[in-house]
Amino acid sequence: MESSVIDRVIHGIELTAAGFLAAVTALMFVSVFLRYLFAWSIPDSYDLSCLMLGILIFWGMAGAGYRGEHITVDLLWSVCAPRVQEAMDLFAALVTLVAMAAFAWMMGNKVLGTLRDNVLTYDTQMPVWVFYAVAWVGLAASVLLLVVRAVRLVLRSDAFARLSHHLTTAE
Amino acid sequence: MSTDLVAITGFATLFGLMMLRVPVGIAMGMVGVCGFGYLNGFTPALKLLAQSPIRTVTDANFAVIPLFLLMGAFASTSGMSRELFRAANTFLGHMKGGLGIATIAACGGFAAICGSSVATAATFSTVAYPEMRRYAYPEGFATGVIAAGGTLGIMIPPSTVLAVYGLITQQDIGRLFIAGIVPGLVAVSLYMATITAIGLLRPGFLPAGPRATWGDRLAALRDVWAVTLLFAFVIGGLYGGLFTATEAAGMGAGGAFIIAVLRRKLSWSDFWRCLLESVRTTAAVFTILIGALLFGYFLTITQTPQRVTELLTGTGLGPYGVLVLILLMYLVLGCVMDAMAMIILTVPIIFPVIQALGFDPIWFGIIIVMTVELGLIHPPVGMNVFVIKSVVKDVKISTIFYGVLPFVVTDIVRLAILILFPTLATFLPTHMG
Amino acid sequence: AQDKPVNLKMSTWVPPTHPLQASIQAWINDITKESKGTITGTIYPAEQLGKAFDHYDMVRDGIADFAYISPGYQPGRFPIIAAGQIPFTFADGTAGTAALDAWYRKYAAREMKDVKVCMSFLHDPGTLHSRKKIVVPEDMKGLKVRPAHGTMGEFVTLLGGTNVKASAPEARDILERGVADAISFPWQSVILFGIDKVVKYHLDVPLYSTSYVWAMNKDVYDGMSVAQKKVIDDHCTTDWAVKFAGPWADFEAGGRAKMRAMPDHEVVPVTPDQLAQWKKAAAPLQKNWADAVRKTGANPDTVWAELQASLTRYKGGL
Ligand code: NA
Ligand code: NA
Repeated sequence: MESSVIDRVIHGIELTAAGFLAAVTALMFVSVFLRYLFAWSIPDSYDLSCLMLGILIFWGMAGAGYRGEHITVDLLWSVCAPRVQEAMDLFAALVTLVAMAAFAWMMGNKVLGTLRDNVLTYDTQMPVWVFYAVAWVGLAASVLLLVVRAVRLVLRSDAFARLSHHLTTAE
Repeated sequence: MSTDLVAITGFATLFGLMMLRVPVGIAMGMVGVCGFGYLNGFTPALKLLAQSPIRTVTDANFAVIPLFLLMGAFASTSGMSRELFRAANTFLGHMKGGLGIATIAACGGFAAICGSSVATAATFSTVAYPEMRRYAYPEGFATGVIAAGGTLGIMIPPSTVLAVYGLITQQDIGRLFIAGIVPGLVAVSLYMATITAIGLLRPGFLPAGPRATWGDRLAALRDVWAVTLLFAFVIGGLYGGLFTATEAAGMGAGGAFIIAVLRRKLSWSDFWRCLLESVRTTAAVFTILIGALLFGYFLTITQTPQRVTELLTGTGLGPYGVLVLILLMYLVLGCVMDAMAMIILTVPIIFPVIQALGFDPIWFGIIIVMTVELGLIHPPVGMNVFVIKSVVKDVKISTIFYGVLPFVVTDIVRLAILILFPTLATFLPTHMG
Repeated sequence: AQDKPVNLKMSTWVPPTHPLQASIQAWINDITKESKGTITGTIYPAEQLGKAFDHYDMVRDGIADFAYISPGYQPGRFPIIAAGQIPFTFADGTAGTAALDAWYRKYAAREMKDVKVCMSFLHDPGTLHSRKKIVVPEDMKGLKVRPAHGTMGEFVTLLGGTNVKASAPEARDILERGVADAISFPWQSVILFGIDKVVKYHLDVPLYSTSYVWAMNKDVYDGMSVAQKKVIDDHCTTDWAVKFAGPWADFEAGGRAKMRAMPDHEVVPVTPDQLAQWKKAAAPLQKNWADAVRKTGANPDTVWAELQASLTRYKGGL
C-alpha cells in the first residue's frame, strides 16, 4: 500500500476521466459546427457523449471519495477536538464505503443485465453495456480506494489526514 | 409506522449523518434507499441503485455542469480575470473606493463566462486583493468586496446553481440563464453603490487610486475582447435560439479553449489541470445529484412534497407570507449547508409549493439563487469566505465576515426589489428567440 | 373477504394532464370496486419513480407494481412487439389497439417473461411534423429527425436522414434551435407539447404508431388471493385495452382536424402514388424486423401472418 503507487493509480484514473471530458467537449463542439456548416450530425454523437459523460463522472467519483473531496457539512466537525474529528472521518469513510460497495454491486448487475437484454444505440447499433462496463470500472476502483482510505484513517497517517481536510465545494 | 413518521425519521437520520460529516450525497442516497426499502421492500430499493444513478450520469442535459465548469477553468487560466480587472481599474480606479468598484465590475465580467461563485471569489482573491492592499484598503473591506463580487458568479449566466435548479424542476436552462442577466446587473450596480456610500460615509477609509490616461484605458479595453467575444457567443447563441443550453456549454468550453490556445496562454499541463479541476467538481456535484434523486424516490412514496404543500398553503399566510417563510428557512439552512447541496435537497419539496402558490418558476429560480448567494457570505458557514481565507492566509475569518456585512444588507435589499418587481427577471426570457 | 388490502404503485412517464392518467384512474377505480376495496392504487405520473426508458426494469424489480412501458425506447430488446411500430401497419389507434392486444397475448409471456403483461396498446397513428416541407421519401435525405422509437430511427437512417435524440418535453427546444428539422409525433401531442409553434408542415398519412405495454410485477400478482387475481385478470383484457387507449386515440385524432384549421400550418396531402413510394421505402423495415424476430427463435412469417389476421378481425389495418 505504498502511497506513491496509490497516488499514481488515482492520478491515472483522474487523467482518464479528464480525457473523457475533453472528448465530450470536442464532440459537442464539432457537432454544433457540423450542424450549422453542413447540416449534418455525427451518427450516435448524442448517445456517445452521454455514455462518455457517465464514464467520466463515475471515474471522477473514485478520486473524490479517496481524497475526501465530497461535499460535507462541517459545522459540527469543525468545532470538535482532533480525536473526535478523526473518529468522525473514519465513520464517514466507512459509511461511504458501504454505500459505494452496494452501488458498485448493483451497477455490476446492471451491466450484465444490459448485456443480456441486448440494448443498442439508435444509429450505429453499438452495444450499450460496453460503455456501462467501463463506467463500472470507476465504481470498482472507488470501492478499492475507499478501503485504502479507511485503513489509512485507522493508521492515522498524518499526511493523509491533512490531505483530506482540503476545502471542497461545488457552486 | 405511518408514512409521515417514516418521512420524519428519514429526515432526522439524514441530518444526523450529515452532521457526522458523512458526505451529503452519500447520506441522501443511503437514507433514500433504506427508507424506500422500509416501505417497499429492500430488494426493489437496492434495484434503484441499478436504475437511477446510471440514468442520471448519462443524461445529456446534465452535461452543462462539467462543460460550463471547464469553460470557467479555461477562461481563468488564460488570464481573462486579470485583464478584466485591469480594464475596470483604468476606468474606475481613481474614484474613492475605486479599486473596490473595479473589482465588482471585473467580477461581473468574469461571472459572464464562469458559472461558479467560489471560482470567481478564488480568482479575484489572487487578482484583486494584492492590488487593494497595495493601496492600503482595509483587509476586511477588500475581502468583503471579493466575497460579495464572487456571488455574481452564480447570478450572472452561466450558472451551475441555476442549471441544477433547471434540471431538477424541468425548467428551460436557457431561459433561466437569460432571466439572471438583469438581476445580475442590478446586483453589480447595488454593490458599486454600496462601496460609493461607504467611501462617502467614512472619509479616509477608502483611498482613491491614480487616474489612468485614455491611452491606457483603450489599451486595456483591447485586452478584454476575448471575454466579450466568448460571452456574446455563448449567451447570444442561447438567447437567439442558436444553441440548446448543453450546446452553449460545449461551445463555451470549446471557445474558451481555442481563445486560450490562440493567445498562447494554455500550456499542456494547464490544459490537463483545467480538465482535472472540472472533473473533480463534477464528481462532487453528481454525487449529491445521484443521492438526491435516490432520496427523491423515498420522498415520492411518502408523498412528502404533497404534505408540505398542503401544510404550507393551509397556514393562511397567503402566498407572500409562505414565500417569506421559505426564504427564511433557506437563510437558516445557509448557516450550515453548501449552496448546491441546499438547492438539490430542498427544491424537490419546495417547488411544488411555489407552483401551488402560483409563482413563476423561472422567477423563483432567480429568487432562490439570490437567497443561497446570501448563504455563501453569511456566517458561520460561508463558502466564499472560506475560499478567500484559503487564498489570503493572513486575514481572520471574522474580519472577512465583518467586511462582507454591508453587502449582506445590499443583498437583502435586492431580494426585496426582485420580489416586488418580478418583471426584472421575467421580461427577457419571455422575449427570447 | 379475508383478502389482504393492496395499494398498487402505478408508474407512468407522461404528465398528469395526459389522457392516459384518466384512463388509468378509471381502470383502478373499477378494480377497487370489483375487489370490494381490497385493491387500491396510487398513480405516480411524470417519471416520479424513474425514467421512461427504465419502466420495464422498474416493474420487473418491484420499484413499481404497474408500469406504462414503451418497448421501442430500447431497440433490440423486445423484437416481437416492435411489429407494432412498423410504418403503415395500423389505420387507427382504437381498432389497432384491439388487434395488437389480441395478437400479442400469445407472445407476451415469452418476450416479456420477467413481468406480467396486462395489456398492450397503441397511440393513434402519428406522422412527420417538420420545418421544411416533406412530400416524398426523398425529401428526408439529409434531414435531422427526432424519431419516436427505434423503428422510426431505422427508417430515418434508411431514408438518408440522421436521428436526433430528445425526450418529448425537449422536442420543442431542439426543433426551435434547428437541432432537428422534423419530428415523428402523434397529432394532438404536437399541440400539447407546444411543437406547433416551431413546425409548419404535417405529412397527412397514418405513418407509424408506437406499441405500449401496461405490465404488472409478478410477485405482487402471485401474492394476491384467488379472488383478487381474478379481478386483476378481468381488467387485463382486450376490451380494457381498448377502453384504456381509446380516449387517448380520440385525443390524438382530434389534433389533425385542429391542425388543418390553423392558418399558418400546412397539412400536406399525399397522392396514392406518393403513398406507394412511402410504403415501398418502409418495406425493408419489415424485413429487419423479421430478421430480429428470427434471432429469438420465433418464425417471423407466422408472427406477421397472425398480426395481419388480427388486424383483419378487428378492422385495424391500413
Ligand atoms: Na456566471
Ligand atoms: Na452561510
